[in-house]
Amino acid sequence: MTDALIHLENVSKTYPGTSVPAVAELDLRIPKGDVLVLVGPSGCGKSTTLRLINRMIEPTGGRIIFDGEDVTEVNADNLRRRMGYVIQQIGLFPHRTIAENISTVPNLLGWKSDRISSRIDELLDMVGMDPSIYRNRYPKELSGGQAQRVGVARALSADPEVMLMDEPFGAIDPITRDRLQNEFLRLQEELQKTIVFVTHDIDEAIKMGDRIAILRQQSQIAQYDTPEAILAQPANDFVSDFLGKGAIIKGLNLKRMSDIEPDRIPAVRQDASPDEARRALDESSDGRILVLDEQDRPLRWIDRSAVEGDQPLANSGYEVTAVVEPDDTLRDSLELMLQSTASSACCIDDDGRYRGVVRIEDLTRFLAAMQQAERERRAESDYEPEQVTLS
Amino acid sequence: MSTATDTKAAPEETASEEIAPRAEEQEVVPAIDENLQARIGLMITPAFFLLLLIGLVYAWTTTEFDPTTARILGFEGLVDKFGEHLFITFWSTVFVVGIAIPLGIALTRPRLRGIAPLVVTFASSGQAIPAYGLIVLFLVLLGQGTRTAIAALTVFALIPVLRNTMVGLDQVDKPTIEAARGMGLSKWQVLRQIELPLAVPVILAGVRTALIINVGMAALVFLIGGGALGETINSALKLNRPVAVFIGGALVALLALAIDFIAALAERYLRPKGI
Amino acid sequence: MDGLVSFFEYIVDQIDDIIELGIEHAIYILSVIVCGGIVSIGLGIWTRNQPIAREVALAVASVFLTLPSLALFVLFIPIFGLGFWPPFVALFMYSLLPILRNTVTGLAEVNPAVMESAKGMGLSSRQVLWQVQMPLAWPVILTGIRVSALLTAGIAAIATLVAGGGLGDFIKEGLTRLGLPNGVEAIWTGTVFIVLLALLFDAAFVLLRRLTTPAGIR
Ligand SMILES: Nc1ncnc2c1ncn2[C@@H]1O[C@H](COP(=O)(O)OP(=O)(O)OP(=O)(O)O)[C@@H](O)[C@H]1O
Ligand SMILES: [Mg+2]
Repeated sequence: MTDALIHLENVSKTYPGTSVPAVAELDLRIPKGDVLVLVGPSGCGKSTTLRLINRMIEPTGGRIIFDGEDVTEVNADNLRRRMGYVIQQIGLFPHRTIAENISTVPNLLGWKSDRISSRIDELLDMVGMDPSIYRNRYPKELSGGQAQRVGVARALSADPEVMLMDEPFGAIDPITRDRLQNEFLRLQEELQKTIVFVTHDIDEAIKMGDRIAILRQQSQIAQYDTPEAILAQPANDFVSDFLGKGAIIKGLNLKRMSDIEPDRIPAVRQDASPDEARRALDESSDGRILVLDEQDRPLRWIDRSAVEGDQPLANSGYEVTAVVEPDDTLRDSLELMLQSTASSACCIDDDGRYRGVVRIEDLTRFLAAMQQAERERRAESDYEPEQVTLS
Repeated sequence: MSTATDTKAAPEETASEEIAPRAEEQEVVPAIDENLQARIGLMITPAFFLLLLIGLVYAWTTTEFDPTTARILGFEGLVDKFGEHLFITFWSTVFVVGIAIPLGIALTRPRLRGIAPLVVTFASSGQAIPAYGLIVLFLVLLGQGTRTAIAALTVFALIPVLRNTMVGLDQVDKPTIEAARGMGLSKWQVLRQIELPLAVPVILAGVRTALIINVGMAALVFLIGGGALGETINSALKLNRPVAVFIGGALVALLALAIDFIAALAERYLRPKGI
Repeated sequence: MDGLVSFFEYIVDQIDDIIELGIEHAIYILSVIVCGGIVSIGLGIWTRNQPIAREVALAVASVFLTLPSLALFVLFIPIFGLGFWPPFVALFMYSLLPILRNTVTGLAEVNPAVMESAKGMGLSSRQVLWQVQMPLAWPVILTGIRVSALLTAGIAAIATLVAGGGLGDFIKEGLTRLGLPNGVEAIWTGTVFIVLLALLFDAAFVLLRRLTTPAGIR
């Protein structure tokens, strides 16, 4: 494990007036630069755990170590300014414009106004909102997805070392949610923040997490590992039950199209001559080739029959329906393949240019390999403790 | 508009009504926007003002004043009374604001939360006391004069502002506060920057109510030697001069309408944008 | 202690007057809430589908409440002379807003799904109003009437200034005799019995509400 930025050391929380602790003796290391997802059934103490980290609630036992420093007793307000905090209800300040919302913490920290101003633009750009349009809007003038973007931008405003996110996409419709998740992951690739992300949705956990902590009642850790490892080998019945059916399919959420090398089936531009097309067809292992437009975007599939006659390539063959982007997960592509007749999907890059083709067989092969690798890794690590005792 | 006055009605129902109508009326009329509603309110008051003013001018110009009436309605006397009325209204409202808002803030802090219902119940039951009786009892306690008058008015008008301050602070969206705390704003900063601005509309409605109560009550302080326009009415009643009675009444009503209108404008323009 | 004793002696002594003036006071309250109730509920029902008329009615009713009581009482003297009528009309005007607003709110707050299904069952809009909306809105309307009653109880104290009678008479009498025997006692008597009368009405409303609210939404 990379070194832990935050360490909850046997932390407990018993709410006043209750006898059962909401969090009992939790020992949790939060690795630097990773997304750690806390996932578990409703009421298991995820939110409580998260709120203990920035001391929105005070622990009743244990210590919180942040960056090597014991922060259990330090000024909580200052601690929170070093951590971004995003909640499901967002909590934008309705009486302040978007710009004013974002500048709250920089203002507290005494930044100069031009620095704040350029930071606002930078952040709005970062979350995909045009500053010239949105800077001076009020929260009520935003859609739910936009508000959530602003919430994230606001939490990032002072460039905190840590982001704490409590079901940030919980109240958003599935399509927008998917988009926000993708944008978030892309952003995280750039920013490499240490993020603690709470959700009760195991699919979201698998998609977002570098590591997942599956929690049971009182924030007891049922399993703490990479998504791959959890999917391949659930540590106990609780975890298997929580993963539910279709753990294998869920594994497809782990990889994105950009992670795999698609098969480069030959392709020609639509203005290519029949000769060129025939030559490409000869090279194709598949019996078909792709026709691209001027920007190399995939248009149609064609086979031999298309080059017999002499109608333009752009009208022959059949249309490409399944197109997957680099951000799409393997599961997304599986879905598209099943819908299309071809049981294959065209991969494009960020600019929409043709990259290659994946087929269902590629996915099965990929899954098998992943599980195999995981089993081997597990076998090795199981062996380790014995080595330790021997030496 | 309507939020302003119901505290005259006192008891516990008004607790919710203070702010309820705002929300309710919005729901009631999906077709009508809040703006139109406010605008209707802002039109009706001047209409009544004009109507009364016409009545006043008519009564003033068409009747031959006998010496007594003329004396009651003497210009300088009226100006003095008017000044006293404003003075009493102004200072009692200032004291109300100065006492009730800090008290309301204190009672919504976690430490005093527990005793808040007690205080509100106690204060509200005090409101069941009729204004007339209260003023006279203050005379018994504190003696004659303007100070007594201001003290009585302050006590009587305290509740709407206290209650609205508490309700206004309570109704601030909890996630908003949670987010603010989570960003590292101190409790004081959350109060100043988030809670109070968001409670402003409700608090202002309470202040407006207090103002209206005070204008009305100031018309009664002549009873305890506080002067003001009520004295003009009282002299006219005692000397049986109906025209002077009417003119005195109209003056007080005009003053109240004007103050309410200004307060309504203030309510409209002082509320933070975005809410 | 002495004060308390003489206060009770005064009450015992004046019990006949207290009852008589208390009845006068109660008559103000009753007549005002009956008339105010009929007018406000009628207005609320009539304007239930007319947003602009409704807003105008609400705005007018709330202007009434901003008018200072003494001013409003005396404005009607040129028309009605002294006595019962000026206070009655003024109190009537004050009583409108709480009832009207609660009627409007009560009618509007009825769950649209309930009304939709009533309509779907073939009830005419009049039947929807009387069989569905009104019974469901009634507790809210009743609360409005109760607020008006308490409001009236307090303001009716001033009726005495325009020779309108009521328990305010005790306060006025006490004020003129301040310093003389029983002056303060009279003031307390007036004040206390007005509060008691208000509490009596309040209790009556609690009972009425219990008796008239449909069992399902009690
Ligand atoms: N302020 C509080 N006072 C008392 N008990 C609380 C409080 N907040 C939470 N709890 C209790 O602590 C336990 C954990 O709550 P928590 O909110 O952390 O759950 P969660 O895992 O975030 O659940 P969810 O997925 O529903 O958000 C629950 O049993 C809850 O009832
Ligand atoms: Mg939670």
